[in-house]
Amino acid sequence: MTNPQPNYLFRSAGPQDLDAFERIAAASATGITTLPADRSLLLDKLERSAQAFASADDSSGEEIYLFVVEDLAAAGGARVIGTSGIAARAGFADRFYSYRNEMVVHRSSVLQASNRIHTLHLCHDLTGYTLLTSFYIEPAYANTLAPQLLSRARLLFIAEFSERFSDRIAAETPGLSDESGRCPFWDAVGRRFFDMDYPQIESLSGGRSKSFIAELMPHSPIYVPLLPEDAQWAIGQMHPEGELPSAILDDEGFDSETYVDIFDGGPTAEARVATLKSVVGSRRMIVQPAAPGRTAAPMAPAAAVAPTAPMAPTFPPTALALISSTQRASFVALVAPAPHSEDDRLALDSSSLALLQLQPGQSVRWASLDLPAGGTEDHGDRA
Amino acid sequence: MSRFRSRAATAHDLPTLARWLGREVTTGQNPDECLWVAQASDPAQPLRAMLRLRRAIGLDLPRVSYHVGCVVHAAPTLKLFHRQRTLLMGNDHTGASELCDIAWEQAEVPLAEQSAALHCLVQAALQQLRLHRATYAARLIVELPGQRHSDGQSPFWQGLGRHFYGGDPAAAALAHGPQWRSHVAALLPRQTLVSSFLSPAAQAAIAQVAPWALPLREVLEDAGLRYSHHVNVEDGGPVLEAATDDLVARA
Repeated sequence: MTNPQPNYLFRSAGPQDLDAFERIAAASATGITTLPADRSLLLDKLERSAQAFASADDSSGEEIYLFVVEDLAAAGGARVIGTSGIAARAGFADRFYSYRNEMVVHRSSVLQASNRIHTLHLCHDLTGYTLLTSFYIEPAYANTLAPQLLSRARLLFIAEFSERFSDRIAAETPGLSDESGRCPFWDAVGRRFFDMDYPQIESLSGGRSKSFIAELMPHSPIYVPLLPEDAQWAIGQMHPEGELPSAILDDEGFDSETYVDIFDGGPTAEARVATLKSVVGSRRMIVQPAAPGRTAAPMAPAAAVAPTAPMAPTFPPTALALISSTQRASFVALVAPAPHSEDDRLALDSSSLALLQLQPGQSVRWASLDLPAGGTEDHGDRA
Repeated sequence: MSRFRSRAATAHDLPTLARWLGREVTTGQNPDECLWVAQASDPAQPLRAMLRLRRAIGLDLPRVSYHVGCVVHAAPTLKLFHRQRTLLMGNDHTGASELCDIAWEQAEVPLAEQSAALHCLVQAALQQLRLHRATYAARLIVELPGQRHSDGQSPFWQGLGRHFYGGDPAAAALAHGPQWRSHVAALLPRQTLVSSFLSPAAQAAIAQVAPWALPLREVLEDAGLRYSHHVNVEDGGPVLEAATDDLVARA
């Protein structure tokens, strides 16, 4: 049976979430999130985030927005089970470094030889892009709707407040490293210029600008054939923990072929915001209360609805949708099987309305959630 | 030193010269080239060495080399000061005059005698430069052979060139002559390489002369040539260089 009430709530984070962030920063492997495992640094981030949500000022580009997803049905009460974030502009006030994959073909007709050579170019291409960050979901929730909501609701936030973001967006996915933090790409590239282990450099960059370190790397292209095989293989490969968030972004339409992280070689996906699935398909709707009993299970086809019931709107059958509020300071979003009419009136049950802090007649942002086959095993119910 | 004299090579000398160079040799009816051999004062003695002076290089087929540079990555707050060597391919010696095809008898010849024969040839080349100064370029270069393992493999090639050309350098040199390096350059990296991306053995071979060629380097340095911060693209051997006017003034 489908639970009529949403199980997961996506909302803006603030200093009150410090304990949850500290727990998640400690649980996530090196380089997996951009969350420092340091309480005072985390508090600083959360305060900056709360400021970004609440500020009446125009965007400076410096803002970071942190979000959490809560399991509303958790034993013992609602509980934070994941985090995600948005940095308004990558490399704000500085530069955002990446390696860009390029191919050059070398050819000698006299020697009858031709070679396709993979090179990595240190670049600032993604500077000023909006950057998706800090994604973490507790492993037990990987196959629920929670990670879908946690990742995609950020895109609704960006679509709703597009003037605060770039029209281009990027997301880093952690690269290959083992449990001890050994990272083949770092060992073959960065370590030649910094005699430090990858976890050391990560904590160093957590405390200061990553570009500070990038500036100490060679600015000429790296010829990949000169790297050890394990490092060559690691280019563009993601840490297993990155597979879920990366699959969601792939489905949204991100391209992860062009850029890799300068430290661990993990893919940095990028896209035009306007082409992303949840942005293209999103629009404002006006909420109205669903008729009692209408929220459970898929809606009956329109034709099956008694045409004589004058008060019940004849909405078409419903699929899952992402629904967010349109308030920046108290941004919330959830996934619900909410039917809508052709003139964009959305029927929401009372519990969803309460979670979204909405009254009938107010606006929401809506986007259909068409999950790729096999992407998620259950649809709202976590057994 | 006076035990050797130099003379222009003749057709009669060619078999010996071909054996030294491992390829066919022409005496050079070419007006742009002079080919000398060194022989003991006693004409019954075998040839000891050969050397060719070329008026200008790289004007038909581009001549390539790596320029060996330096880049420093410094961060005082991290107490970091890394000095890195860089290699950048170029045609920096285009138009220079060159001493090339330098070969000499080494088997059972004392080093002092090898040096004496080479000195005699270098003096002949300097004399030619002095007498026909206007014919030659402002700079004179010499490519010296780089280090090789006993099996003939070059650690520099193993660490660099091999990744960009899978063929056998020896076979390519046999098929195309020394110019094969100009052809293989089209397959090698064009952008600055930081040497620390090369294997330690390849890094160690940068600008190192093959031990058997040390007498030649000494003779050239005595004449006033110096390492030009360029190495050849195949085996990393150094390129020596001098201003022609300085060489002529010293001689």
